[in-house]
Amino acid sequence: MTAINSINLDSALMRAGPAAESFARLWKTIWSQTYIKPEELELCRLTFARLHADEDEIAAPNANVPVLGATRRQAVLAGKALESAEFTPGEKAILLFAEYYWLDPQSITDEAADDVKKYYGEPALVLLIESLGIIDGRIRTARVLRDLKTAKS
Amino acid sequence: MSAPRASGPAEKTGNVVRDSAMGLIPETVSEILKLNGHVWRDSLVPPSILETIRLRNARTVNCVFCKAVRYDVAVEDGLTEDRVSLINDSYRESALPAREKAAITLADCYLGFPAGADHKAAADIASQYSEDEVASMLVAVMTYNFTSRMAVSLGGMPEDGTLPIMQMSVSAASA
Repeated sequence: MTAINSINLDSALMRAGPAAESFARLWKTIWSQTYIKPEELELCRLTFARLHADEDEIAAPNANVPVLGATRRQAVLAGKALESAEFTPGEKAILLFAEYYWLDPQSITDEAADDVKKYYGEPALVLLIESLGIIDGRIRTARVLRDLKTAKS
Repeated sequence: MSAPRASGPAEKTGNVVRDSAMGLIPETVSEILKLNGHVWRDSLVPPSILETIRLRNARTVNCVFCKAVRYDVAVEDGLTEDRVSLINDSYRESALPAREKAAITLADCYLGFPAGADHKAAADIASQYSEDEVASMLVAVMTYNFTSRMAVSLGGMPEDGTLPIMQMSVSAASA
C-alpha cells in the first residue's frame, strides 16, 4: 500500500470538508498555471523531499508533470543540481530560492529573489513562493499523518 | 522594514489580499481567499483552537504581521491575551486546557524539523481529537503556514514588536 505523501494527500484530508476541497483545488492549480513550468515545481518538490529525508515522498510518482529525466532527478536528489550543467540558470535560481525558503523564509537573500525575477518576472516569484509553501505544507502534513497512523496501529 | 520584493496590482480593489502581491496571480488568489474562509467558517474545531494554532505558527515562522493579528471569531470564542501569552515554550506546564495543549502539539509536529509525530505526541493528540478534527486542523495549519511564510518571503516585514495587536475580521481576509 502506498504511503501518504504530498501527491495522494487529498484522500486523507477530505474528511475535513470544504477547506480540504479548497486546498485540493489550489494544489491542482499550481500544476496548471503558466508562470513557472510544472517540471520546475517538481524539481522543488524533490528538493524538499531530499531536505526532509523523506523516502516515501521521493518515491511518490507525480502524475501532474511529465517524468523527469533520470540524470536531472538524480542530481536534485543528490543535492548537486546547482553545480550541474543539466539545469538552466533560471532553474538554478528557483532551486536556490527553494532551499533558502525551506531552511527559513527569513534567510532568503535579495539576490536570490532578484535572480528568480530576472529569469521569470515578479508574478512568477509570487507564484513560486505560494507553490513552495503548498508543496512543503503537504509534505509536512503527509509526514504527520503517517506517524499518527503508525502510532495508532 | 526590509524592502518588499513584489508589489500588488496597479488597479486596487479594496480587498487587502487582492491588493497585495498575491493579487498578481489571479489563478490562485480567489481560491486562497475561499480557503481562508472555509478554514475559519467550516472548521471542525472552535475558532479559539484555530487561533491558538495560527499564533503558534506565527511565532515559529516569526511573521510580525501574523503575530500582531487576532481574528474576530477567535476573540468572540473566548481567546484572551492572557491565553495568548501562554502559547510559548513552556505551554505544556501552563494553565492552558488540555485540548489547546494538544492543538499546539499538533502544530509543532507539523512545524518541526523534521516534521512528524513521535508516540507521545500522537497519543496526546489522539486523546483530545478525532481523526476528522485532526484533518481539519492540519488543513488550517497548512493554510496559516504557507500564507505566513509567503508574507515573510515577500519582504517588507516591519521590525519585530513594532506593531500593535490588531483585530481582523474573517470576512476581510476571505471570499
